[in-house]
Amino acid sequence: MDRYQYLLLMAACVAITLPLELVLGARVYRRPRRLVIVLLIVVAIFLVWDAIAIARDHWQYSERFTTGWLLPFGIPIEELAFFLVIPLCTLLTYEAVNALLRKGHERA
Amino acid sequence: MPEYTVAATGSILVVVLLELLLLRTRLFTKASYWITLAIVWFFQILVDGWLTKLDAPIVTYTREQFSGIRFPWDIPIEDFAFGFSIATLTLLLWEKAAIGRRPTASPRSAPERVE
Repeated sequence: MDRYQYLLLMAACVAITLPLELVLGARVYRRPRRLVIVLLIVVAIFLVWDAIAIARDHWQYSERFTTGWLLPFGIPIEELAFFLVIPLCTLLTYEAVNALLRKGHERA
Repeated sequence: MPEYTVAATGSILVVVLLELLLLRTRLFTKASYWITLAIVWFFQILVDGWLTKLDAPIVTYTREQFSGIRFPWDIPIEDFAFGFSIATLTLLLWEKAAIGRRPTASPRSAPERVE
């Protein structure tokens, strides 16, 4: 199980933020076109940063806690997951905050 | 200066200039943005703290490539600049994607100015 630790951490982030969409009305998953456009751009930019950081030895990944499945330029697939999941969680947080503020305004 | 320190702080400048000069979404004037940033920072400490903890690190950092300052716990402080940039860029693009697709302004706010 150790080698899935990084991936499982990312899965936990997705699971924990899901109620923001389902309960708080974040409406991020329900705007798939907009979501895909944003994610494609963010993922592309940060994969380039990661590739450079790996090549320049800014950081390394534990062989014990990652799957060892690599993309070109030695990028672990966990990093791809990170660059998808963290922006997704950020958007869900933002839209949940927006939804709550709107509800607050309506009540006032 | 160490390379990661330069890259991380430089990314803040790039993202802020991108908004001010090009995207102009007015994200930085929104309370919901700053509230989101505070929440994201809190959760970053948990997730990043787990990734970088020195007794069982998932990601290890080359000492010469960052400032060497780790806070809180074992998180290299540069990671917070990195986190700011990925969160802010994401929200800027999300806002930008919405502008121009709204047929009319919402009743509560002034009309969106698209420059």
